[in-house]
Amino acid sequence: MLKANDIGYWYDRQENSLFEHVNLEFKSGHSYAIVGQSGSGKTTFLSLLAGLDKPRAGQIELNGEPINQLGLTAYRRSHVAIVFQAYNLFTYMSPLNNLLTAMAVTNSSHRGDKAFAMEMLRKLGITDEQMTKNVQRLSGGQQQRVAIARTMVCDAKLVVADEPTGNLDEENTKDVIDQFQKIAHEQHKCVIIVTHEPDVAATCDYAYRLAKHEFTLEA
Amino acid sequence: MNFFKRAWLNLTAKKGRSILLILVTSAIMLFVLAGLLIRNAADTATSNAKQSVGATVTLAANREAAFKKMRSSTSTSKTSRPKLTTSPVKLSDAKKIAKLNNIASYTATVSTSANATGFSAISTSGSSAGGMKGMGGSTTSSGDIAISGVTSTSATADFENNTSKITSGRGITTADEGSNNVVIESELAKEDSLKVGDSIKLKATTGTKTTYTLKVVGIYKASSSTSTQQGPGATDPSNSVYTSYTFANTVKGSKYKNTADSVTFNVSDPAKVSAVKKAGNALINTSKYSLTTDDSSYQTVKASMDNVKSFADKIVWLVAIAGTIILALIVILMIRERRYEIGVLLSLGEARWKIVAQFFVEMVMVLVVSIAIAGAGGKFVGNQLGKQLVSQQTTTATTGSTSTQQGPGGGGAPGGSTSGTKPSGNMQAGGALGSSSTSTQKQAELAINVTVMDLVELGGFGLAIMFLSIMLASGGILRLQPKKVLIE
Ligand SMILES: Nc1ncnc2c1ncn2[C@@H]1O[C@H](COP(=O)(O)OP(=O)(O)OP(=O)(O)O)[C@@H](O)[C@H]1O
Ligand SMILES: [Mg+2]
Repeated sequence: MLKANDIGYWYDRQENSLFEHVNLEFKSGHSYAIVGQSGSGKTTFLSLLAGLDKPRAGQIELNGEPINQLGLTAYRRSHVAIVFQAYNLFTYMSPLNNLLTAMAVTNSSHRGDKAFAMEMLRKLGITDEQMTKNVQRLSGGQQQRVAIARTMVCDAKLVVADEPTGNLDEENTKDVIDQFQKIAHEQHKCVIIVTHEPDVAATCDYAYRLAKHEFTLEA
Repeated sequence: MNFFKRAWLNLTAKKGRSILLILVTSAIMLFVLAGLLIRNAADTATSNAKQSVGATVTLAANREAAFKKMRSSTSTSKTSRPKLTTSPVKLSDAKKIAKLNNIASYTATVSTSANATGFSAISTSGSSAGGMKGMGGSTTSSGDIAISGVTSTSATADFENNTSKITSGRGITTADEGSNNVVIESELAKEDSLKVGDSIKLKATTGTKTTYTLKVVGIYKASSSTSTQQGPGATDPSNSVYTSYTFANTVKGSKYKNTADSVTFNVSDPAKVSAVKKAGNALINTSKYSLTTDDSSYQTVKASMDNVKSFADKIVWLVAIAGTIILALIVILMIRERRYEIGVLLSLGEARWKIVAQFFVEMVMVLVVSIAIAGAGGKFVGNQLGKQLVSQQTTTATTGSTSTQQGPGGGGAPGGSTSGTKPSGNMQAGGALGSSSTSTQKQAELAINVTVMDLVELGGFGLAIMFLSIMLASGGILRLQPKKVLIE
């Protein structure tokens, strides 16, 4: 469903490009891991897929349509759900309101469905009591699970995550990774996770390594 | 409209910040409201002043033209003494002018004098006759009783501003036209043991020197201040009597029938005085007659209120501008602090204008609470400020009106004395036009009340301030790159 067509990227005043002539395809119903050394450009690549930035060369296509033709704002609203290392939740809201807000902003088909949002939160182990208090009172693992629940209540078929387990302990990591696999396999979404943890990469259907300005598929 | 909900959630979650915002906004709104209140009160006071402070237009002989004529005749025939000839005002002209818009009423004034017969006039030390001759240079003899012929006493300035008051009987009214009814001063009544219903005799000083019998229908008391307004030539103020203008004309002689020395028109809307004068000038022979306006008391009140108003206007604008700057800075700081939240919204695909709208809604919510607080506090602040301003302004108003009093009242307005050819009593009419100070102080009170309209106006100002602040601050939102906030 998502295709990187000959894309390249470099920052201003950078000698070499981070990557060039990248051709990759991501399909729905599958999970992908992107690994590579720190500073290799994983986050940068993901931000292009998420529509937060534009590639310097080439283009990204969603079901055959270039995403800048769709408009990056509209693309983010309707097609991508993003999970970051730093959770990126509304700190002044409860977990439940975070979900309801995201559903409203993205115009989700579940828009306004409080019961559905609560069900998703419960699925990720957030108790009813935790749901209504400020999200900052939750632990890091719990907050990351709220962020994941947010991707589940939105209609976006593409879920991108940058180091989603970076701040989590082993047990929470396993939990979160399981959820991502379920999203891919049960909800038939396309999940792309940037990580430097081999365990996490191993749970994904495919893993690409970014090294020496190139992506290579790992076994 | 999810941004409404977000705004509400944000304000309720960050209570401390919301309270601070409300306090700052309340303070700004309070100042704007105080300015608005004073300005509105000054507006009301000005329009009240319009209604109760009179303005007049007086029709009288054109003395300027008459003087010119006299001077030119002097140059040709140096042997004869120059004579100032003026024509009395025709009542038919007056009636035409009275039909103009904005003329509420009119009074004709005819001044003359006659000699008391069978009773004695009050004599004061200091010769009146000598003063008279010196001033007018006239050969006409004057009587010891000054007659003011009027259409109605209540419409004369002295009675209108309570300088003179009827103490017994009644005043002269239009019903007295053609009658020999008279209103005399209380001192004269006491001196000669006269009371309402008695008769007095007056002997004309000119022409056939007829003796007239008049019936006393009322006694008035002139306050002492009247005497200070007397010109040097006049007899004791207590010797002033009021009759119908028709009687005064009869005393002066048959050629004065249906005329008056001057006719004073009361203008209902003082702001229209010059328009009335213009329209009136089209109706009269301006080489013989002139129309003079007196809206000095109105102008005095208006000037003092205009001062208050322009001061209040300045407060409103200064505070509005300062408030906008302060709030804009606060909003800019707030938005910087909320970059992360904006980034999350952008990553979810929220439109930028909706993010700006959320901030605007938040500020409007703050504004609503602040206006309620400012409304409660506004009356107090407005009252204090209003008192302060009025005590300053009243001082200027009174000083102003004192000086105007000296003008027309003391010197004799063009309409008042035509002393060249007429007997002495003319000063009476001149005095009647002048004084105006009494009503001024009354008008300068500012009524400070917070009305719904004030709050609506305040809300308008507040909205404008908020809108501008958000617009100034939103540049940051519109330029913000989500990637920068969320990833780097
Ligand atoms: N805004 C920027 N301007 C200039 N250079 C940048 C910018 N952002 C990142 N870089 C550089 O681009 C390179 C790739 O950065 P990126 O964040 O994509 O790496 P990464 O693979 O995600 O690393 P990590 O594993 O540490 O998160 C780095 O060398 C970084 O210094
Ligand atoms: Mg990274």
